[in-house]
Amino acid sequence: MKLKRGKMLVDPPACASSDIAFTLIIFFLVCAAVQPETGMSQALPKTESKSEKREQSQNIEVSITPSSIILNGSPLKIDEFKTRIASELKKKTREQDRIVVVKSAPDTPYPIWLNVSQAIDQAGGILTLELETEKTINVQ
Amino acid sequence: MKLQRRKLTASVPSFAMGDIGFLLLIFFVILARSQNDSHIQWQPAELKDIEMSAAPRATVSIDTGYKTYLDGKEISTDELASALSAVLGDTPAGQRNVFLKVHREAKATHFEPVIAAISEAGGDLVHILEPEEQSKQ
Repeated sequence: MKLKRGKMLVDPPACASSDIAFTLIIFFLVCAAVQPETGMSQALPKTESKSEKREQSQNIEVSITPSSIILNGSPLKIDEFKTRIASELKKKTREQDRIVVVKSAPDTPYPIWLNVSQAIDQAGGILTLELETEKTINVQ
Repeated sequence: MKLQRRKLTASVPSFAMGDIGFLLLIFFVILARSQNDSHIQWQPAELKDIEMSAAPRATVSIDTGYKTYLDGKEISTDELASALSAVLGDTPAGQRNVFLKVHREAKATHFEPVIAAISEAGGDLVHILEPEEQSKQ
């Protein structure tokens, strides 16, 4: 006849469960805080005033409006712009000629601007912004 | 004859010290990491082919009301370049990441002066965006 061995009941210590829960909360909080963000890095030349630059006049010029993208005077859609800017920049061998001067209309939406700047980056261009500055002159 | 009272010793349980130390460590890690810009209301724009970004030295945001913030504090675009230069200091090139969080409905008048200020301060600009969904492509 076999004798059954009595089973020993082992309970986890309940007093530690609050500590464990608290540590888990903090663990997930840290995970959420250090979640990496996604984005697009962009190299920009240092800002300079217009009088200092422009001895080179061979730069590609792009104008952005809410409805169109104008490359060297011809209006294009974003897909056409991508291919045209790539072919234009292929011809440029010197780094200073790869500068693309971008001028945006004041009401240009951010997503359109991003698409254009990404296309310039991917084509190997160096994006430069042309900003209009306002000056107030008091006439006495 | 005097009977001596038995002394009661009250000691802090040392087995909990490891847990306490660990929790304090994590607490300070959170404090150090969080640049508190969680109160800023903005929605990121979407774009294809975006990548993971390294940790920033500073974060510039433009919210739904088109106000500009540097590390969670409101700032004017005129003061932004000098304030950013102070934050970036002598940080070597390649580690001067500045995150730019622009609300998706912002216009060029709002974000271009900010980009110019980041460029003037010598920051490495990173636009914070969301990857565009497959269905929209």
